[in-house]
Amino acid sequence: MITGDNDPIREYIVREFLGGEDTEDLTDDFDLIESTVVNSLGLVRLISWISETYGISVDDIPLEPDVYRTLADIRNFVRQAAPATV
Amino acid sequence: MPSPRLLQALSRHVQEQPDSTALVFAGERVTYAGLDRLTRRAATDLDGVDLGPVRALCVPAHKSPETVALLLAAWSLGINTLVPSPGLGAAALATLTAQAHGPLSAVAVPGGGAVLTRQAADPALSDGFSAPDPRESLLTLTTSGSTGVPKLVPVRTEAFDRFGAWATEKFGLDGGTRSLSFSPLNFDLALLDVWAVLQAGGTVVLADAGASGDAGYLRDLTQNNEVTLVQGVPLLHRLLATGGARYPAVRTVVFTGEAVSDQGLRDAFAACPAARFHNVFGCTETNDSFVQDIDPDAYMHPLPIGDPIDGTDAVLLIEGAEGTEVLRGPGTGELLVHTPFQTCGYLEQARNAHAFMPDPRGGGAMFYRTGDLVHRDADGRHFLQGRTDFQVKVRGVRTNTLEVETVLAAHPDVVEAAVVALPCPEAGTRLHAEVVRRDGTTLSSLGLRAYAAKHLPRHAVPSSVGLGGTPLPKTQTGKPDRNSIKKTKLNGAS
Repeated sequence: MITGDNDPIREYIVREFLGGEDTEDLTDDFDLIESTVVNSLGLVRLISWISETYGISVDDIPLEPDVYRTLADIRNFVRQAAPATV
Repeated sequence: MPSPRLLQALSRHVQEQPDSTALVFAGERVTYAGLDRLTRRAATDLDGVDLGPVRALCVPAHKSPETVALLLAAWSLGINTLVPSPGLGAAALATLTAQAHGPLSAVAVPGGGAVLTRQAADPALSDGFSAPDPRESLLTLTTSGSTGVPKLVPVRTEAFDRFGAWATEKFGLDGGTRSLSFSPLNFDLALLDVWAVLQAGGTVVLADAGASGDAGYLRDLTQNNEVTLVQGVPLLHRLLATGGARYPAVRTVVFTGEAVSDQGLRDAFAACPAARFHNVFGCTETNDSFVQDIDPDAYMHPLPIGDPIDGTDAVLLIEGAEGTEVLRGPGTGELLVHTPFQTCGYLEQARNAHAFMPDPRGGGAMFYRTGDLVHRDADGRHFLQGRTDFQVKVRGVRTNTLEVETVLAAHPDVVEAAVVALPCPEAGTRLHAEVVRRDGTTLSSLGLRAYAAKHLPRHAVPSSVGLGGTPLPKTQTGKPDRNSIKKTKLNGAS
């Protein structure tokens, strides 16, 4: 499992949405949307963070929840949109 | 009203005014004769079906003439119908049907008739639930439970008939009444704007559930059909008044559900220049209990909840030196009401001991504890102040924090849980849970939130969870000290 030490996306989710509590329950395929950890307002925050952190224009970031459903999904999206940074 | 009296009135209308319009839906008119045909078609599909010993049927409230006909058909066959929101998930629907002792649910099909589905739920789910008796009640309503499965509220046939008689006189319902049915068919508001209007031989204009937030659609629907009766939450009246629209045909405007703003009142006065205005106060358990007639030229705001409807008895209960007592004179207390329209109790027997109590002044009449905090002024007027219980609004949805606590506490690794509402700059209000974990377990706050999301609607899932091993702070009576938890959260970090 990737740990928070070398995974900025996980670190961000843990800091912003889990009150800093990292846990083994947060697996790569844990559904952040269905579990309401990331709600519609949280999604806006997450997108703005991705935009700033990876230098991706907000216009190029889709708003569909499916893109951000799991840590693996978010990582895949960033890898596609900004290949050099991940 | 779902009662033999309603059915008799309808067959009279079919005889005497077969070609007058009973329902308008999606641009189509259904005459009384047409409604009768749809009802007979549905009755054919229901007749002879094994409905179990209780004769109960679940009919999700899809809004259409066919659903109206399906309900009429079931009532004519002496079947108690449970009418839940059509938006409920399959699992919740199966649970509700089982709780109401029904094996089947029925969905009306376009053109008439019904498709029946056997619900595969554990019959043991009905343990502790009374069986609705179709001889006493043909309709079981659901109240919007703030968490998951709604509560089942059977409505007595005689209570319906009394409500119909009252509403017909109060709002002058007759064959010329054309009502806008804005709320879903499973809401108690349908008792007035659908069933009482049909009983009176009027026309019901069914607003499409999907388009109900669309001001232009509602304006056209109301104007084109020359609606005379508009009942609904302040949001409906606000939508109708959008853009300065005018409704000269409207004779009766009824506000209900929540407090209407002064601007909302003035907009409605302007939109409906020929109307009389009323504010009704009530709940699913008792139906309407108070009504306030509003004179556009001389009204006070906030509106009082009004005068008790004929036959309604109301008291305010306060905490006195020796337990609860009835408030005499001015002051603030919990409103208890007894109405001629009220239910005989929830099907779930365990709920009734808390919600209903005998007249606190003595006597046998059962009173419903509304949970509403009401102030009575020196002139005897009553004003709603808020709630006595744990109801909060999260993203506009009424949510009971106590019920959220119950769900969290049901997790096997949880010892105790307390849920508080905190102000949130983005959403207005958000829920926070403080939870004590059982020793030796590895439950994480994330795991608990995922569990909560499985068992609660989204708005009721706490957006943060504090998880610890030490007991929660307690009040003197041994209950979780939610005020202190809330203060700690408000004063502490995030």
